[in-house]
Amino acid sequence: MAESTVLNLVLWLPVLGMVAIALAPKGADRAVRGLTLGVMLVQLALTAWLYQRYDASVAGLQFETRVTWIADWGVHYHVGLDGLNVLLVALTAFLGPLVVAGAFTAIEKSVKLFYAMVFFIQFAMLGTFLAQDLFLFYVFWEAMLIPMFIMIGIWGGERRIYATLKFVLYTAFGSILMLAAVIYLVWSQAEATGAVSFAFADLGAHPLSFQAQAWMLGAFALSFAIKVPMVPLHTWLPDAHVEAPTAGSVILAGVLLKMGTYGFMKLGFPLFPDATRAFMPWLWTLAVVSIVYGACLALVQTDIKKVIAYSSISHLGYVMLGLVSLDLVGIQGAIVQMVSHGLVAGGLFTMVGMIYERCHSREIAAYGGLAKILPVYSVFFVILTLASIGLPTTSGFTGEFMALLGAFNAAWPQYQAGQALPLVMAVLAVSGVVLGALYMLWLAQRMLFGEVKAPHQPVGDLVAREKAILVALVVAIFALGLFPQGPLAKTELAARDYQQRVLSSRLPEAAP
Amino acid sequence: MNWQLILTAMLPEHLLLVGMLAILGLEIRSGRPRDGFGLAVLFTTAAALAAFWLYATGFTGAPFLHHFSVGPVTSLPKAVLLALAIPVLLISRDDFAETPYYTLVLASLYGACLIISSDSFPTLFLGIEIMSLPVYALVLLGLLRAQSTEAALKYLVLGGAATATLLMGIAFLYGWSGSLAIAAFPYALASTDPLALAGVALVTAALFLKAAVVPFHAWAPDAYEGASAPVTAYMATIIKAGVLLAALRVFGTMPVVAPVAGLIAVLPLLSMAWGNLAAIRQTSFRRMIAYSSIAHAGYLFYALLGDGRGRWEAIVFYLIAYGLMNVLAFAALPRGADDERQDRLDALKGLYYRRPFAAIMIAIAMLSLAGLPPLPGFAAKFLVFKNVLAAGYTAYAVAGLVASYLGLYFYLRVIQYMFMAEQDPAAARGTPRRLAVLASVLCLVPAVLLMFFPGWLIDRL
Repeated sequence: MAESTVLNLVLWLPVLGMVAIALAPKGADRAVRGLTLGVMLVQLALTAWLYQRYDASVAGLQFETRVTWIADWGVHYHVGLDGLNVLLVALTAFLGPLVVAGAFTAIEKSVKLFYAMVFFIQFAMLGTFLAQDLFLFYVFWEAMLIPMFIMIGIWGGERRIYATLKFVLYTAFGSILMLAAVIYLVWSQAEATGAVSFAFADLGAHPLSFQAQAWMLGAFALSFAIKVPMVPLHTWLPDAHVEAPTAGSVILAGVLLKMGTYGFMKLGFPLFPDATRAFMPWLWTLAVVSIVYGACLALVQTDIKKVIAYSSISHLGYVMLGLVSLDLVGIQGAIVQMVSHGLVAGGLFTMVGMIYERCHSREIAAYGGLAKILPVYSVFFVILTLASIGLPTTSGFTGEFMALLGAFNAAWPQYQAGQALPLVMAVLAVSGVVLGALYMLWLAQRMLFGEVKAPHQPVGDLVAREKAILVALVVAIFALGLFPQGPLAKTELAARDYQQRVLSSRLPEAAP
Repeated sequence: MNWQLILTAMLPEHLLLVGMLAILGLEIRSGRPRDGFGLAVLFTTAAALAAFWLYATGFTGAPFLHHFSVGPVTSLPKAVLLALAIPVLLISRDDFAETPYYTLVLASLYGACLIISSDSFPTLFLGIEIMSLPVYALVLLGLLRAQSTEAALKYLVLGGAATATLLMGIAFLYGWSGSLAIAAFPYALASTDPLALAGVALVTAALFLKAAVVPFHAWAPDAYEGASAPVTAYMATIIKAGVLLAALRVFGTMPVVAPVAGLIAVLPLLSMAWGNLAAIRQTSFRRMIAYSSIAHAGYLFYALLGDGRGRWEAIVFYLIAYGLMNVLAFAALPRGADDERQDRLDALKGLYYRRPFAAIMIAIAMLSLAGLPPLPGFAAKFLVFKNVLAAGYTAYAVAGLVASYLGLYFYLRVIQYMFMAEQDPAAARGTPRRLAVLASVLCLVPAVLLMFFPGWLIDRL
């Protein structure tokens, strides 16, 4: 199959890129930059072709490859596209070249290592999304930490060591418990069926007692919730975001955080449906607390990057809300919101990076009236701000609106049945939209309007390369806001499948 | 006596012996107390190839019935052990030009081979002693600092205590079963007779002592720090592997049950936790590796909780992944004239900007030792905990995984120093040594293959 070959090529291109960089002579920084951008663009083109070939009317995996990897453990190299990952893979491939182009002037130190790490991250992220085998998934999931540790640690800001260690130690703690749950799940499956298998498809079938489900969901959820991050496990995120270089922040906000919500959607909830439903009130509450608390924290920050970092916590709260609503609209909204947040937060971090490169300050108070001296920059900043708030016609609207709609769809029948909590939570979640408008508009107002203030004057406006990056992002944001039907259609069958699986039961039959 | 059988079955051992004699003969003939390096590498390689050949042909036989037997199960670990010794020898040349060093290493390897093939306790005992005795001298041979003497003495005394404990245990088992065969040990495991259990406990304790499992670990940090880098690498990989293979030999395929299971579960768990925690405080690289090896001894003994085939798979795979990475770290480690200064972790600061290749090699080794995927250390850790969990010790598996998490920080700190710290301007740049690069590549290539195709090895275990 031609498509599956292309899919493998998309996944492995970054590895080829790493090898090429390793062989490049010392000091060939320009060539390395060009090479990285070229490889990323090829990857994007191939992904676009695959995306366009993806058949929305077919359920299940498409373009899959399945090769035995570790025969003894039933581990396969199994990758493929389905409705849950197709948009996220497209997002990852789309942000790749933008991240690379955005770092052209920002990274001067150890250029080869930097781009090698960008490739490594790209490989691990795509692998996490594409993997259809739990062992493979875990390997990619955990391997992600290595390049991120190095990226924040070498090219980060002043407190980079603290931030990067905090990031790695937080995330690794979740993963280690997930590993225990993975082993337990696979061996309980082996005991039930007699054959060891790590395939996602095989792991969802055998009966599991409620207690086992609850423990394993706890372990998976801890790992995923740290990655998302959900309040109260979010404290690593502001540090990592603030200290990371722009490219690191864009990757973190753009794709990496989605690995957490994707994990819930692909594994956590569907694998342990009974436990998930039992914990529903908690999940609703945590999602809404993340929305509101994240927004409140964003409101009081003095550092531009921190505002956007906390806004990410809030926006990913909507994703969680959509996922736990178990309403088809809400689930699809969650998927769109993931992509939208990737584009918007990625764009905002890119813009913070651009101004930081010019003025070397991220303090909001250091800026003012940028609209007068940087008109082009300001136009893009306002567009991204509005997209972040969720103004209709932008992707942010599609995602947030659908997630909230799903939440209300799910909450109303429950309210009529006498359960008020979901409805209260859904109402509270709406306040997040208002708070979102407040902190983002206030940020834009302080930076762009009023008396002209900038730490380094005169400041040059955007150059062609930067404009190109932002135009690409803005086009994507509007495309997803104005024409969401195409992407939504591709997710529909998978969303239905997710809904059905979480609503089903896998408790053992009661003994006669 | 079937000379033909003895000649073929013990070919790796014979080659090591011939190597030793050749080195000594060369010294007598030339009258120079140097060289021996080339011959040692040659004969170790030949012995490793011979073991591979025995494994590939599936040779089975017992030249000394009930004492020494050879089969694929013994030839493979022998081949692995001898192959691991090659890079260790390659990095020894800069520190040791003297002939005795190479003779001692070959002698110690001979002992390790005896352990792997032993069928009776006397052979096992001989193997352990022949493997350990040269190492006491090796620790002292470099005499890098005044403390080396103290370290060697400590090691000798505690090693002697282990020997006595082992002998006592063997005596108890003999008293209980009337047999010196190793095959009696698994029966003692399942028995409830206090004599048998006392014998099992003493033998296990002796192995714990030799492998530096908490609370018998105190000698390791001093010995590792006092010895020179290649000797430390030798102790951390070959000696540890020898002891673990001895454990594998005596425990056989019999599942461990209470009360012995408690011993096998609790002490290694403590070892993981304490080794990883204590490593965080270290400022000397070799001391840190010593604590790391204490933690790894814990993982390795943990694997004994699993069933017969699983524990064999886990321990052999782990020894390969762990051994390759330890030797890789020591091969890449820059060496300087002032050992005490060079051994400080601070000396690694900014290494990536001076010696990128070395820094990347050490980083790979550290990440693998920490058990992060996709490096082979992860598959090894996975195998161990998979077995523990599959054997029904869920709580111990989770506790062990959490203990392994404690180790992440100090491995990452090494990378932090090399890549993210300001360079100490006084740090010696050190020139890359060709043999050390060769040794690094010898470790790296199999490690990369193991990373992409772990299944290939697992299918053969």
